[in-house]
Amino acid sequence: MIQDGMGRQGVNGTEGRDPVLTRALERLDPGVGDPMYWFRFRHRVVASAARELARRRLLRESTVSETVALWGRTLVPTAVLAAALAGFALLRSQDVPAMLPIVVEEILVEGIEGASIPTVLTSEEQLDTGGVILAAEAY
Amino acid sequence: MNVLGEMADGELVARARRGDADAFGALVERYMRMAYAVALSVTKRHEDAEDAAQESFLVALKRLEECRSPERFAGWLMTIVRNRSRNLVRRESLRDSDPVPDSTSHRGPTPDLVAERMELRRRLLEALDELPEVQREIVLLHDLEGWKHREIAERLELPSGTVRSHLHFARKELRRILGAMLERETDG
Repeated sequence: MIQDGMGRQGVNGTEGRDPVLTRALERLDPGVGDPMYWFRFRHRVVASAARELARRRLLRESTVSETVALWGRTLVPTAVLAAALAGFALLRSQDVPAMLPIVVEEILVEGIEGASIPTVLTSEEQLDTGGVILAAEAY
Repeated sequence: MNVLGEMADGELVARARRGDADAFGALVERYMRMAYAVALSVTKRHEDAEDAAQESFLVALKRLEECRSPERFAGWLMTIVRNRSRNLVRRESLRDSDPVPDSTSHRGPTPDLVAERMELRRRLLEALDELPEVQREIVLLHDLEGWKHREIAERLELPSGTVRSHLHFARKELRRILGAMLERETDG
């Protein structure tokens, strides 16, 4: 923003201004005869605003810390609860009888007293082989 | 001009909301003359205009969250200035006239010259008093503060054509009322 020597703005010139009226109206500008007037004006306003500005800074700082605290208040109980649930689930799983692995061999030999799989397979294999030979010959 | 001086209103408002004194100071610097001119157009008294303009900045700071369009801070601020000024006028309507301080006193004019200037200011304020408030604002912002039509239109949230029209009528009326005084200004 452009300012003239008096701090007035929009002065890309006197463009469009009425020089006679401007000269007359300048009498209403308290800064014309008192070069420090606007400096003092600004200083007074900013000084009067100091408390409100400080309050805003404080509010902002506390807002940040409150946000962190709020996260903490939410996250910590959630984490504790999750840990408790996980621990409970872990303990509970130890009470349940573990699934015994079923050995394929045991299924296959179920009901066949005293015979191991190799024995059964061997005898079956022989039978099957003979069957296959007979069939081949008949064909 | 420093960095803050070139910063957009929206950014300065955002910083001021966070309590940045420099940003708030930059806003004051940018709009104090405008605020004073608008206040003067309502109160027509220097001290009232000064009080209203200063208070308006403080009120604006306290209510900064209510400024929904920070990039239009100036228009919002001027609404506060107008309202504060009107309230002040209502409260102090019985107070004696308090003219603008002599702006040329440092040059050590003679008592006659001081009296003449006081008289000229009084007549100027009376002439401005004849204008509608919006015309007073516009003529002060344009011919005293040097704002362009477009800038005034943006800040006061008025169409540019309306600003030109108000300015035209305000000048015409001031010339009619002040007539001879303005001629003397031209000569002297």
